[in-house]
Formats: sequence, C-alpha cells, structure tokens
Amino acid sequence: MTTRRRPADRLVRSYVVTDGRAHPTRNTLDLVTLLIATDDLPLTGLNPEKRRLMELCRPGALSVAEVAGHLSLPVGVAKVLIADLMDSGHIVTRAPIPAARPTDATILQEVLDGLRARL
Amino acid sequence: MFWCLAVGLFAVTVLLVRERGITARQRRRNAELGDGLRARDEELRHLVSARLPALEDAPHQQVPAVGLLDTRLADTDFAKCLDGVVERFAGAVEHARSSADQSAKAALKASMRSLQALANEQQVSISEMQDRHDNPGVLSDLLEIDHANAQFGRRAQVIAVLCGSWPGRQRATSALVEVVRGATSRIRDYRRIRINGEVDIAVRSRAVEPVVLAVAELLDNAARHSQPGTTVEVTVQTVHNGACVVIDDAGVGMDGQAAEHAAELLARTHDVDIVRLGDPPRFGFAVIGALTERYGFNVSVDTLSPYGGVRAVVFLPAALLTHLDPADQAPVPPAEPPAPAHVPAPAPAHTHSTDTAPTADPAAPVPDPHAASAPASAPDPHAASAPASAPEPTEATTPGGLPKRRRRTPRQPAPQPVAAEEVGGRSAEENARRMGAFARGTRSGRDARHTLHDDEGNSHE
Repeated sequence: MTTRRRPADRLVRSYVVTDGRAHPTRNTLDLVTLLIATDDLPLTGLNPEKRRLMELCRPGALSVAEVAGHLSLPVGVAKVLIADLMDSGHIVTRAPIPAARPTDATILQEVLDGLRARL
Repeated sequence: MFWCLAVGLFAVTVLLVRERGITARQRRRNAELGDGLRARDEELRHLVSARLPALEDAPHQQVPAVGLLDTRLADTDFAKCLDGVVERFAGAVEHARSSADQSAKAALKASMRSLQALANEQQVSISEMQDRHDNPGVLSDLLEIDHANAQFGRRAQVIAVLCGSWPGRQRATSALVEVVRGATSRIRDYRRIRINGEVDIAVRSRAVEPVVLAVAELLDNAARHSQPGTTVEVTVQTVHNGACVVIDDAGVGMDGQAAEHAAELLARTHDVDIVRLGDPPRFGFAVIGALTERYGFNVSVDTLSPYGGVRAVVFLPAALLTHLDPADQAPVPPAEPPAPAHVPAPAPAHTHSTDTAPTADPAAPVPDPHAASAPASAPDPHAASAPASAPEPTEATTPGGLPKRRRRTPRQPAPQPVAAEEVGGRSAEENARRMGAFARGTRSGRDARHTLHDDEGNSHE
C-alpha cells in the first residue's frame, strides 16, 4: 500500500471533475456497491471522466472502489460522479451481496457430516 | 597746405570707414559667437533636462528619442561630442538595467522555484488526503485547499518562467481537451469555463505544461475581465496544420492601447523587463510571449469576440501535436468476450489490483507512475509500438507494470439482480464449481449418513 503511487500531479484536478462539489446527490453508495451501466442512454454531454466511467461499467458490473481506482480519482470524487450518473439514469446500482449468504449453517453442518462420514 | 589737409582728411575718412566696417564685422561676429555659445548652453541644458532622461525612460534604447534642439549645431564637433556623451550614457544605463534585471530575475527565479516546489509538495499531500478521507465534508474542504494551492502554484510558476526558468513539470502526452481542463484547474473561476468541441488530438509531453500555463493565463484574463455571471466559452478544434484553442469572453474587451501593448508583449519584440510590468505587475501576456517563443506555438488576442469581449486564439502547430493512441486511453480492455479458460488471474479475487496485486510479472520493473516507460515491461509484442502499456485482454497490466485483475463476468443482456451467484467478485464458473462441490459433498454426505444410520440401526437391533 505504501509503494502505491497514484499520479498525484493529475493535470485535471478533482474540483474541475466534479465542478466543485464534494457531496454526492445520494448517500446510498458504498465502496462495494456494484454499478451497472444502462445501454440505451447516449453519452453526449457527459464530461470525459463520466464517459470513461460509463465505458468501464459497460462490459459488466464494477464496484465503486474499482471504478475509482481505474479512473485514479479519490473515492469521494468518484461517488459524486456516480451519483450524477444515477440521477441521469446512466447507471443503476445493486447493493453488494451479503457475504454471509453462502455460508448457511445447515449446509456447512451437512458438509461436515458428510466429511466425517467419509473419514 | 590745403592739399595736405585734404589728403589727411581723406586718410582719416578712409580709416574711419574701415574702422567702422571692422567694428561692424566684430560686432556681428560677437553676436554670432554669443548666439553660438547660448545655443550650446541651451543644447547642454537640453541634454541634461530632456535627452538623458528620455534615454533613462526609454526601454531598450531605441533610436535616440529626443534629438538636438538646434539644428544649426548638427554636424559640428560639439554635436558629435554630445552624441558621444549620449551614447556612453545609454550604454551605462543599459548595462545597469540589464544587470539589475538579471539579478532581480535570478532572485525571483530562485525564490519562485522554492515556492513552486512547496506548492507541488502540498499538492501531493492534498491528493493523498483526498484519497484517504471518504467524508464529503472533509473532501469539500480539501477541494477548496487544492484549488487555492493550484492557483498559488501557477503564480509561482508564471513568475519563474518569466525569469527564464523551465515550466517545471514533466507530463505525459495528454489529450488537448485534458490540457485545456488542466488549465481550467488553475484559475479562480473554473466553474465559468465551458469547453466545447471534441478532438482526438493530443499534445506532446514536452509542450503540455507550457500550453497549460499559456491557456491558463488566457482563461484567467478572460474570466477576470468579464461579468461574474457570464461564461467563458472555449472551443477546441483542429485546423489544417495544427489545432486551435479559441477562448471567447463576454467581457469589456481591450482598448487600443491595451491591445497594442498585449500584441507587443506576445510578439516578443524585445526582452521582457521584469521591473517594468506595471504596479501591480501583470505577468500574463509577458509569460505567454515567453512560452510561445520558447515552444513554438502562437497566441493572438487581436480579434473581437462575438460576445463582445476578447477572442484569444492559441494555435498549436502540428509539431507539438500527436494522435492519441486509443490503447493508451482505454481504461479497461475492450469488451470483447474473452476466453476465460486459463487466464493467469494472479490477483486475489476481490481486491484492488492496483493496491495489492503481487508482482507476478518478473519482467516488470519497479512500479513507475509514468506510463511512458512501460514498453520495456510490456511483454506483449503488439504493445511495442504503443508508448504506453496497451491493456491487452490477456496481458493487462497497470501503469505500474503489475498484472491487472480482469473481470470475467460476461456482458449480461439484462442487468437483472442475480441472487448469490457472483459473490464477492467470484466468477460464475468458479461459483458453479464451488456450488457443484457443495452439492456433491452434501449428497455423498447424506448418502453416507443414511448408510451410517442404517448400520447403527442394524447394530442396535
């Protein structure tokens, strides 16, 4: 983590990217919220970062953190952009899937039983 | 006796007449000499009171601004001596001026460079803070600080450049629109700038920073000299042998004298005198002139904008431009359906590849933020022509030369919520495999339990 070097001297600064805003229009976004691009809306009128964000999300779902990483923007800035794109309908989000879902206790128990039975 | 008298009288008369003629001539000559002396006195006074001060004020010793007072004195030795004095004086003035200018420039340059370094350092820490803090309130404050810091850095940079320094930063080749937006980042009223036009042309790396600086100065001028409610329209377009950035403001425009002064500074008819830029000093056009001369682009501000203000046109010749390789810009591999068979996915499933991906590629050098050095690390022969690491579907690397996690989710026709299939970024196949294993395991477990129960039952019986 320490060796990672984001291009700190970005040519286009964050406030130009978000037009000076730091508060996203909605606060439902999380680092692991999955973003899915909708196909039907045109990209005209979007600034280059938003357009790149759409291109990133087109091939499949990406999380907010990944999008921010690919755009090499701070997560807070990326959230502002994503919230804008959600408002304009370019992006829909899907809540992160709870990680505990597959570890169902009964299944684990059954697996354990099965393993014990085998051994 | 009479004759004697007559001769004597005649002689006296002749003498008298002659004496009179001599006296008249003497008087005339006296007057002439007096005139000449007075003229020389006047001339000397004129030299002290008018000609030398004119030389002191005249920038760069053009043709002697004020000539002789009395034209009769031209071509005399006296005039030549005076010219000699003027020349010596001019030389001395010029020498003093240039040495003062040089020392002022050297002092300014050194101090501005240290300020610039501080501004850059601060920018790095602001960027890191922006990354670290997720709170919108903190981010908002950081954006403001960042904005102020960018302006501060630009001021220092402008003065340093005017004093003969290099613009400072080495940047990668950047799209022209990004260059204009970079310039927008450095001015106070960045929100009033509207950028139109889409070109796929990029500015070569060595010209990026100078063009950013020049455009920033023009944008700052435009925004500063127009009403706060108006917008500054920037149009980026390609022209026959280059590209143009046209900046239109709806401001007050420039009057004739200002336009003339600006044109003079832009054309660099003579060296900029750092101490003669006014009070407060206006560096804008002077620094643009210095940059255009050094880097070979062109700026003109002599047209009227259709909005009533000034139209500034930055012309970039083709030598400073290049075409942007789409591979450089594409942030992800193109969305062609990849063969997911045996991809060496070295990064752990759902971490950020830029963060923690292990250095699986032994050929990769130490992470270098500049993508320009990537061709050595890119093992893909197709990428050899591209200056940056072209993200190929199979050999994607980050700009740092690390392998990149590829998404393996195929493009879904309808983004309907899939329940628990792709958990935490695991691919569908992997999930299927795991679920299959679970299913097989449970099935065999159940079977085994049944037999076990049967056995137990039997034994109990």
